[in-house]
Amino acid sequence: MTMHDEDCGCDEYNELSRRQFIADSAGMSGLAMFASVFPSWLPKVVLSESYVADRDVIISIFLRGGADGLSMCVPFGDTNYYTGRPTIAIPRPDSTATATRGIALDDFFALPRAMQALVPAYQAGQLLVVHATGSVDPTRSHFDAQKFIEVGKPRDPNIVTGWLGRHLATVPPMRTDAPLRALGFASGLQKTLVGGPKTLPISDPATFGISGATATRTERTNWLKSEYGPAPEPLRSSSLDALNTIELLRLVNITGYAPANGAVYPNNGVGRALRSAAALIKADIGIEAAQVDVGGWDTHATQDPVNPGGAMYNNMLNLANALGAFHADVIAGPTTTNVTVVLISEFGRNVRENSARGTDHGRGNCMFLMGRNISGGRVYTFNWPGLAMENLQDRQDLKVTLDHRDVLAEIVKNRLGNQNLDVVFPGYVPTMRGVTK
Amino acid sequence: MSRSRVGGAESDVETLAVEQQDGASQLEAQEVASEAAQPERPSRRRFFLGAVAAAAGAALLPARKAQAQRISRPRPGIMTRPGAPGAVSEDVLVRLVNRVTSGATEEEVKRAKSMGFSRYLEYQLKYTSIGDSATDTWVATNCPTLAMDGPTLYATEYGTLVTQLWNATTYRSAFSKRQLYERMVEFWTDHFSINYEKVGYLKTLDDREVIRKHALGKFPTLLKASAHSPAMLEYLDNTRSRGRNTNQNYAREIMELHTLGVDGGYTQQDVAELSRILTGWTIQGRGNFAFDPTGHDFTAKTFLGETFPAQASSVGAAAIQEGERAIDMLLAHPNTAKYISMKMLRWLLRYDPSQSQIDAIAQVYTKTGGDIPSMIRAILTPANLREAPLKMKRPYHFLVSSLRAVNPTVRTLAQVSNRQLLLLGQQLFYWDDPDGYPDNMDFWAGTILARWNFASYLTSQASATGEVTFDVTPLVNLATPVAITGQIEKMVFAGNMPSALEGQISAYLSAAPVSANRVREAMSLALSSNAFQWY
Repeated sequence: MTMHDEDCGCDEYNELSRRQFIADSAGMSGLAMFASVFPSWLPKVVLSESYVADRDVIISIFLRGGADGLSMCVPFGDTNYYTGRPTIAIPRPDSTATATRGIALDDFFALPRAMQALVPAYQAGQLLVVHATGSVDPTRSHFDAQKFIEVGKPRDPNIVTGWLGRHLATVPPMRTDAPLRALGFASGLQKTLVGGPKTLPISDPATFGISGATATRTERTNWLKSEYGPAPEPLRSSSLDALNTIELLRLVNITGYAPANGAVYPNNGVGRALRSAAALIKADIGIEAAQVDVGGWDTHATQDPVNPGGAMYNNMLNLANALGAFHADVIAGPTTTNVTVVLISEFGRNVRENSARGTDHGRGNCMFLMGRNISGGRVYTFNWPGLAMENLQDRQDLKVTLDHRDVLAEIVKNRLGNQNLDVVFPGYVPTMRGVTK
Repeated sequence: MSRSRVGGAESDVETLAVEQQDGASQLEAQEVASEAAQPERPSRRRFFLGAVAAAAGAALLPARKAQAQRISRPRPGIMTRPGAPGAVSEDVLVRLVNRVTSGATEEEVKRAKSMGFSRYLEYQLKYTSIGDSATDTWVATNCPTLAMDGPTLYATEYGTLVTQLWNATTYRSAFSKRQLYERMVEFWTDHFSINYEKVGYLKTLDDREVIRKHALGKFPTLLKASAHSPAMLEYLDNTRSRGRNTNQNYAREIMELHTLGVDGGYTQQDVAELSRILTGWTIQGRGNFAFDPTGHDFTAKTFLGETFPAQASSVGAAAIQEGERAIDMLLAHPNTAKYISMKMLRWLLRYDPSQSQIDAIAQVYTKTGGDIPSMIRAILTPANLREAPLKMKRPYHFLVSSLRAVNPTVRTLAQVSNRQLLLLGQQLFYWDDPDGYPDNMDFWAGTILARWNFASYLTSQASATGEVTFDVTPLVNLATPVAITGQIEKMVFAGNMPSALEGQISAYLSAAPVSANRVREAMSLALSSNAFQWY
């Protein structure tokens, strides 16, 4: 009696990313939702007017596929890391391999060379790495693990909205007249944002609008405006929001945007998204949140995080260069708007490499936080479990010793000014870990 | 404005007509009272009236144009005896066509008129008698994986499999003559929702052997087929539920989503017990169901108050009967009859069926052993249709009805059923929860811009060698805005376009010399209109 192939869905990630295959969205929930979807279980909500002036904009980045946190924040101080990974370990910062060795963050953790662009943010105390964190649910299914993190609670079929969507639904808008409060850089809205009022999936804000011939666009837009003016709800509001958002985005010169501090965004998916996000934030049009997805982390074979040109090396390089540019441009730049950036992935990967010089699905992972009000310049762990065999989850993985919701909830409360943590993370009482200033 | 208010838009219309003589209804009184208490929001009332007026246009969409000017509909007493050919008003007949198809075409309305209400409904229900060879040929030619067995599917690349299932499903919804059958396939696909990304090729088997095989059969047969479906057992993790180490996912959902409903009278203890009863229900080889006695928990269980005694493991394969018995208990439960009836009423008739409507259909379920066609007959009565408010099309329904309206030459549907559906927000077989894509308005309203852009995409397909081609020449040859508008009315609204919209389309055509592009845009605007989003 045999099971059929395991549920990890790895084959497809390797040969042909399903997510690339299905056009260009990584957020498969694919739903633009209307504002009024308040779930019936929603507890009483406090729409606080405080903190509004002081609230951060949030950029939420999901690394899809299970990013190998042991390559992104390397525990070089633990020899088990090197014994488990004979061919794909990042050399110690004091190694003689000067071209590939890690960059020490402290006396135990290092950044890989590919993520060198994050060093200025770390040195400025504006980059925090949280390690051995993740979802408390033990699933190793991409499908389930991503969903559990995005909705903010594992295995509750009654929760269909995302944690960030519920945050937006339970705070007053930063600008009351904003037609667009949040966007997902995707064709379909990512689950994280589902439930957010005035929240739209927008693949590319520079080209968002009514398609068809340019010559008749205004005429057709006016036709639709008049057609839907008297339409019944919910279509009336929805169409007005869409038309107003089109108008709004046309006023922002995204294509001609000039970053501050000489920052150069790489011309890749995450680079373009963060550049657009920077332009929107500086335009001060009331955008409060953006969701960005970065794929390609399901490194079951020939992972190579070490050498330039390696698969994971390149992926980390693209990511770090985009984040480094965003730091220089926005966080270290002249804008008065505060921004918090948070990166998460659905799970980490096995401590030991497999026979294909890759790693399979694991558990504990690291998160990256960036912002002026992040208590950064350090790697934060809680009861770091270590990589000795007897301390591993199922004798193979870094344990989760810190629920990722502690990190997110502290940001929601302290940086996004929302006290309704029982709505954003239902059924969970978070512990504040001091990740914010 | 709340969902119930919107859902009741048509009732409000009727209320306005009737209640103006009889005095304000309670609803209206509340509206007025709340307004009086909050004079600082005068816009709300205007807004409400505006919405109702618009809803009136939409609500009366199926009616003949002469009737569209009326505000109130005929009172029930005036109606002639339902059932006899010609006895049901044309309005109700058009409503029926809207409910049993994925878009009323002129041809389909004509067929319904010539057959009469009951004969037309029977014609759609007895779908195997409807010749559909053109659709079958297209699917067999373009989507050969749909006929493959498990091992062959397993050996086929993921992208090919899911693409062909997308293409075939979309093609059938749009062009099959068995329209009601395809609507029910869509319904059961959501009821027994399975995410392709999680189970891969097994869903292709499930689509053929579970959903399409039993979509218009008996519900118990359908449920049992699903419970024995490798795709479902994999999707809801029953394949990972062994011995004392159970996974409760399927045990929960078969009650919550497939039979009893979330408040259907079971406890967490019942979930745990059922998961133990179903241990060993798994997959063998490539896409075969198997009961694996070595994975079964043979100890005693108590499920929904009934005892399942402990058995010796030597019973072996016969222990599958525990699961079969539990499923029979679910099928015989009165809450299953009610839950399935409620969902079918929502799908076919209205978002807010009354308790008495639910009870009536549940009685049919009980009396006929869950016979789906019998339930549909009881749901789609002239009386029920006459009272039913319009529903908003889901994005897939919008896409398919647009295809039916434009009726393009189809070479493939690779773009339409993949990227275009993704942009619209309803990628088939990709809903990632087991409850299926929502059947309500609020969830989908945010996709309106994507609908406009799809209409633009579809109507601009001009290349004769493209995937789909919209041949605009016959329309352009009609030369005058009025004549072209008349033809668009036939194509998009089966001859029943709201007159205000007719004026707007005609005005758009008149604003520039008639050209192919102008006509394509007018067609796109007709598909983009508010009225086309409802059925």
